[in-house]
Amino acid sequence: VSGYATATLDDLERLPVDPGEGLMWRPVRRHFGIRAFGANAYTAEKAGDRVVEDHSEATNKHEELYFVASGRATFTVDGDEVDAPAGTFVFVQPDTRRGAVAEEAGTTILVMGGRAGAPFQTSSWEASFAAFAYQRLGDTERALATMREGYEREPDNWAANYNYACMLALHGRRDEALEKLARAVEGNAEAAELARGDEDFASVQDDPRFGEIVG
Amino acid sequence: VTVTERYTSAHVDDISPAGTWIPIRRHFDIQAFGVNLWRGDAGDEVIGEHDETSLEHEELYFVVEGHAEFTVGGDSLDAPRGTFVFVRDPRLRRKAVAKEPGTSVLAIGAKAGEAYTPSQWEASAVAFPYFSSGEYERAKEVLAEAHRLQPEHGGVAYNLACAEARLGETEAAIEHLRVALERQPELAELAKTDEDLESIRDDPRFPT
Repeated sequence: VSGYATATLDDLERLPVDPGEGLMWRPVRRHFGIRAFGANAYTAEKAGDRVVEDHSEATNKHEELYFVASGRATFTVDGDEVDAPAGTFVFVQPDTRRGAVAEEAGTTILVMGGRAGAPFQTSSWEASFAAFAYQRLGDTERALATMREGYEREPDNWAANYNYACMLALHGRRDEALEKLARAVEGNAEAAELARGDEDFASVQDDPRFGEIVG
Repeated sequence: VTVTERYTSAHVDDISPAGTWIPIRRHFDIQAFGVNLWRGDAGDEVIGEHDETSLEHEELYFVVEGHAEFTVGGDSLDAPRGTFVFVRDPRLRRKAVAKEPGTSVLAIGAKAGEAYTPSQWEASAVAFPYFSSGEYERAKEVLAEAHRLQPEHGGVAYNLACAEARLGETEAAIEHLRVALERQPELAELAKTDEDLESIRDDPRFPT
């Protein structure tokens, strides 16, 4: 591993993580292999696109600092609307709900995060976000490899099993998909309900084992 | 700002700068990672030359505005607006010089595998612009407060001694220098030649 690396915003991948809302993820931490803190960027292609997913950090307890690097966004934080032109920082505590929509095409927001009082750990969502984005972009081999990599880091995590099961099902790898799905349901019963309504499992729904797993 | 607040927002222009430094982490009281913005005009050193061997932080820089030239580990890197520079190896010397007016660089840092603790240089850095402008009384005030809050930080005590020495407050300067060297003995080397300590260096009580 080299001691330093550079890249411009334009060099970063553009990964569609929620095509319905136009959320475009520019993975910064993944790109550089940063281990000490979380860092990402999101870019809106047009006004009205989402630039920060509506979410809280209640699970991994990350403090998050957003910085509007270009354009203009409207944040909704804890129910308040916050006008955020380029140059605005928004710092959000873990349990607070937050999201943002771009007011201008090309709006880019940087996000930095970490958990106070604990060493940084890479968030498990990164691998599945990247894998599903590659799948949407048609790079299916990379999608499967990326998902497997994420799963191998956390083979006991129910969500990692679930996401890997989705990807395996999309690739028609029925036996492996059902095995991972079974492990996901073992880890968290809610995975069964999720799987019943999840189109990613279309290729295995007719399998009697699927019915046994998801009830 | 308190950590119990659910969120805080501020435009960069509304955060009080200390010279070229805009103390973002301090402003928001962020506890999970270090983050600062540095702004300067053409020719200004927006990232002062340093390495991270003492803190072992990984550092990510992002050129927010303008155009900078980085030097990392002896390599020159052209860094227009929108460039990231990530320095993993804490031993690499790094700095950045602004090539355009209004160049600003965001710097994010923390140590891998360890919980973050706010860096002690921040407490001292608030006072640096006052040293530059010769406002030693104000530098002393800021550092005395920092020393009260973080008496364990040798660097803060050292800088307080410097301000006091500049003000001719010999007794206080010698006492704070003694505390500083007790906490951080390697500062003795710097104390031998530091201009700020000139007024007390010949005093027999000057600690070595």
